[in-house]
Amino acid sequence: MRYAVFLAAGVLLGAIIHIAVILALPALAAHTVWLRIAAIAPENKVVVLPTPAPGVANPLQLDPDLEYAVCRVNLAAGPGVISGTLPDAYWSLAIFDPSGTVIYSTTNRDGIGQNLSLGIFNPDQTHLLAEQRLDIADGLLIVESKDDDVFVVVRLAPAHEAVRARSEQALAKIACGNIKS
Amino acid sequence: MRFLIQLLSMVAVALVVGFGLSYYALTDGRLLGALKVGPWAAWPAVGSASPDPYTRAYLARTGALQLGQGEGLAFTAADDSDGHPLDRSCRYRIEGTTPVATFWTLQAVAADGSNIARPDGQLELRSSDIARANDGSLVLTVSKTLAPANWLEITGTGSFRLLLTFYDPSNLSGSGVAVQSLPAIHREACGA
Repeated sequence: MRYAVFLAAGVLLGAIIHIAVILALPALAAHTVWLRIAAIAPENKVVVLPTPAPGVANPLQLDPDLEYAVCRVNLAAGPGVISGTLPDAYWSLAIFDPSGTVIYSTTNRDGIGQNLSLGIFNPDQTHLLAEQRLDIADGLLIVESKDDDVFVVVRLAPAHEAVRARSEQALAKIACGNIKS
Repeated sequence: MRFLIQLLSMVAVALVVGFGLSYYALTDGRLLGALKVGPWAAWPAVGSASPDPYTRAYLARTGALQLGQGEGLAFTAADDSDGHPLDRSCRYRIEGTTPVATFWTLQAVAADGSNIARPDGQLELRSSDIARANDGSLVLTVSKTLAPANWLEITGTGSFRLLLTFYDPSNLSGSGVAVQSLPAIHREACGA
């Protein structure tokens, strides 16, 4: 009977350990997507990721059918802006915070077409924008981020293998940086 | 002495339950937070702006570039429809219908995420490039041995996983996940 009480206490303690592990893992993980992107993408520079080759580890789990461009922005230096013209093919965009959470995503099927023009503002900058104390380009899609550190991922699906190189060039031409006030 | 054994048993049970349950919960979405459809599993909140704690832990553990909720959803399968682990020495027939999406891709990957397709062949199957039956259903084959029609040729030995990614789906993303069915994975001949 006493032994069963110890086992039951062990199960209860195990449940507590389980909850602690689940809650602590995001803070303790050593190979987060933020660290992986920070290692390959300097701030304010668009980096086109290489297509994952067969047999080579693919920690970011990239889809070899797609082309990827990433850009890291620090909003402490001013609102972020990412702009460019992309080929007439399916593309999508996602903004990540340092925890790897997608704070915003969209696709060109949402009426954006081929033109990418996105502004990322922290709450203070959104406030300034509301007071019309920041000048921004017309048609800029505005997204608010609670964190100053963000990175943007543009995924492009080339219509054919033959246009893959052209798709890579289009992604490399995307402009990314801060709006100077 | 008896007390010490009881105490050690309690600690052992706590560690096994605590860490074992955590590993189990974050592998292929076997517990909370995951969506299971036949042999396929996905984390529907993985691309959301406010994921639940299990999904947050999964995000941290994988360190992968996840799709946002507006972009799509990826399903993974480590077993066939009968529950047998996927093995590269076997031929698999993937049969059924897929939800509506702008397009989808199917890849075969090893445990480290590396693509195991033949290096100079197709790295994956894409919905726009496959042949379908008149009713829209599809039959795909994943194997090392030659197969007709929609064939994804794989290499190597050992276990593997299938990744089925839907881009711009009409009814997978967001909180209202509504996936009726995904293709079944049938194991055929083994020993290749």
